[in-house]
Amino acid sequence: MAAQCGLKLAVSLITAHFGDLVAKVCSCLLHRGTLSLQEIIRFTELSSSQIKNCLLVLVQHNCVQAFSTPRPAGPGGVAKAVTQYMALFDNILHRMRFAKFLAVVRDDLGPQCEILLAGLLQNGRLTFGQLVERATSSKPEVSASMREGLRANFNRLVSARYVERCPRPEPFIEPSPQEETRSTRRRSAKTSEEILSIEQRAMVAAALSDAERFSEITDTATETIEVKATDHSSDVSVGDKRKYGALEMDQEVQAAITQNEVLWQANFEKFLLCLKKKACVAHVRSRFGLDAGAVLEAMIESSGQQKAKDETPVRATMDSILEGVRAKPGGISMTLEHIRVILDQLHCQSCNWGAGASYSIDLKSIIDTCQNDEVEALVLTRFGKEAYRIFRLLIKNGHPFETDRIADIAFVEKKDAQGILYKLWKDEYLDMEKVVSYAAGQKELFLWKVKKDALWEHVLNDLYHAALNLSQKIAHIVEQEHEVSQRREKPEQLRNGRMILELSLLKLDDALMLFRDF
Amino acid sequence: MLPQKRPHPDSKTKLPPLSETERVLYELIKSKQNLGIWTADMKRETGLQTTVVTKTLKSLQNKNLIKDVVNIHNKARKIYMAVEFEPSKEISGGSWYSDGSLDTDFIRILREQCLKHIERLQVATMEAIYKSIQESRVFKVECTMQQIVEIVNAMVLDKEVEELKSTGIGDFSKVQSGKICYRSLKGREGPKVGSFSSIPCGVCPRISECTPDGIISPKTCIYYNKWLKLEF
Repeated sequence: MAAQCGLKLAVSLITAHFGDLVAKVCSCLLHRGTLSLQEIIRFTELSSSQIKNCLLVLVQHNCVQAFSTPRPAGPGGVAKAVTQYMALFDNILHRMRFAKFLAVVRDDLGPQCEILLAGLLQNGRLTFGQLVERATSSKPEVSASMREGLRANFNRLVSARYVERCPRPEPFIEPSPQEETRSTRRRSAKTSEEILSIEQRAMVAAALSDAERFSEITDTATETIEVKATDHSSDVSVGDKRKYGALEMDQEVQAAITQNEVLWQANFEKFLLCLKKKACVAHVRSRFGLDAGAVLEAMIESSGQQKAKDETPVRATMDSILEGVRAKPGGISMTLEHIRVILDQLHCQSCNWGAGASYSIDLKSIIDTCQNDEVEALVLTRFGKEAYRIFRLLIKNGHPFETDRIADIAFVEKKDAQGILYKLWKDEYLDMEKVVSYAAGQKELFLWKVKKDALWEHVLNDLYHAALNLSQKIAHIVEQEHEVSQRREKPEQLRNGRMILELSLLKLDDALMLFRDF
Repeated sequence: MLPQKRPHPDSKTKLPPLSETERVLYELIKSKQNLGIWTADMKRETGLQTTVVTKTLKSLQNKNLIKDVVNIHNKARKIYMAVEFEPSKEISGGSWYSDGSLDTDFIRILREQCLKHIERLQVATMEAIYKSIQESRVFKVECTMQQIVEIVNAMVLDKEVEELKSTGIGDFSKVQSGKICYRSLKGREGPKVGSFSSIPCGVCPRISECTPDGIISPKTCIYYNKWLKLEF
């Protein structure tokens, strides 16, 4: 279950994008967990049609996933399938990252693809036909070449995995044995593990195979399509004409269906992976220089990792690293020896995997360092330099330290050390344990340590809170700007303030992803 | 009656004549060695009156047999120990303390020196830093290798210098490959400015009481208005 402030932030995003009614339904799902339509009606006291419309909006924008479970109708009765709705918390938060996603595609595939993606992000899910309509609505007529160009760009988005086919709308979930014994009340209670299990099962059931998700579309007029979904890497090249005789007609129909029936959505996983890569490369670049950044980028790109949450080390062969590095600006001048030194600096493990020498690097350790940096900076500004030194000592070593020992290592007066440690402990940055030593008379000792899991959760919750505050302040200033402009005064101060806030929110969101998504 | 102690091997000098109370108190203080003893504990252990203890301590001090030392844990507690002992680390606070408080000037100067020498050497092992400081003869008092290790480690925690493993090539050519060495981070990294710590909420002491429509809310937040210079 996400932190309380996270839920508030999600609700405020939905309110800002879709209005109060949709937000009410969404909030109900976020706070109470997965619910059926009847339950939503009971909790929100809205009319059935209102809720249905709200759910449609949320499903359209990939914020809610539906699935059905059987519910026995009483003794002897026939089990009836009931549709359940669950809110997709992460997808809701991704709504504030759309600008970043668009920038990723713009840098990688160019502005034409960016426009197509913008259409999908704005509308949640669309068929290719709708996308074409959208792109050509301002033009008097749609020429075949224009359509062809759109299709090529769209396929580039699909083959780069920025865009995917939508998951199954309503998978059927058989209850697992232990669920049958559980009461409905307990299921909707927020005992996270149990809820996650059924939600996760629904997500797995809804997910398409990779081959299905990223199968490109072909043109009805000139090409036959491969009915079986193709893997993204096998190229369905343009103009590769094949005759299937009598089958052709069917396939044309099939292609028309693909274009007009299949819904597409942005693949958030891929965008997160790109942003994670960006964060890791930026960190390595600032620490080891430009060349090291280029080497890491090449490694990640050639590794073919697909999920940002993937914690397995990134692996790449020396050949593919070389190839990747050469394609980067300034990479052509890097020698093999230089790259080897950098790989060593980055603590890459060399391993025998596939043909030739290959290297692996644990991105998790880089992300860990970035997370530490963020929390350490917080300690520095909040508690001062001495506290920063003490906190870094404790986080670096991971095991508990006694007060006097901390004072010695950190060069702080013993009395002051106690005060600092107490403050850090009170604000939940440290964990404290009292032990009694009988060595030289009875003496109470205090052991201090950073409990990372709990602290990280605490920081994440505060990050959500801060993001919520920033977005509310922005909304407030926008309101003020409107008032001021009506009075014909100069709104520059307000505009500057808003810009600072918007930039801060973008940066804060980077930190949010660091703790939540990477 | 306390057990008679063997005379300290170093103190060959004969004790001046002592009265009964002086002798009892002196034996007690001496038995505590480098930990010393607090006046209140003396009273408890000997059963003597406060005035008697004070008087006796004064006369023992005049005979140059005992001394008072500052306890860093509690400066108000007067602690006495025999003159031949140096206060233990628990009492004095260790080598970084002088007169019961942290010798900040000495620490500051030693840090500056360490940084200067690391910058001069570019990449240096602990031994190299120590040697370089010793050769420069800045300090009248000898500083130990242990002190340099402690100082440099604290500087690593402060992100003033970084700890690296030498690769033996390039910048590291002077240091044997695989050895731990240190490099200055001045102008390169240092403590990062976090994206959370640079906005008011990151350092706000009232963030837990802040709600969208509460008494403390982002709309009316004074920290925000100060930050954005939005004062009306």
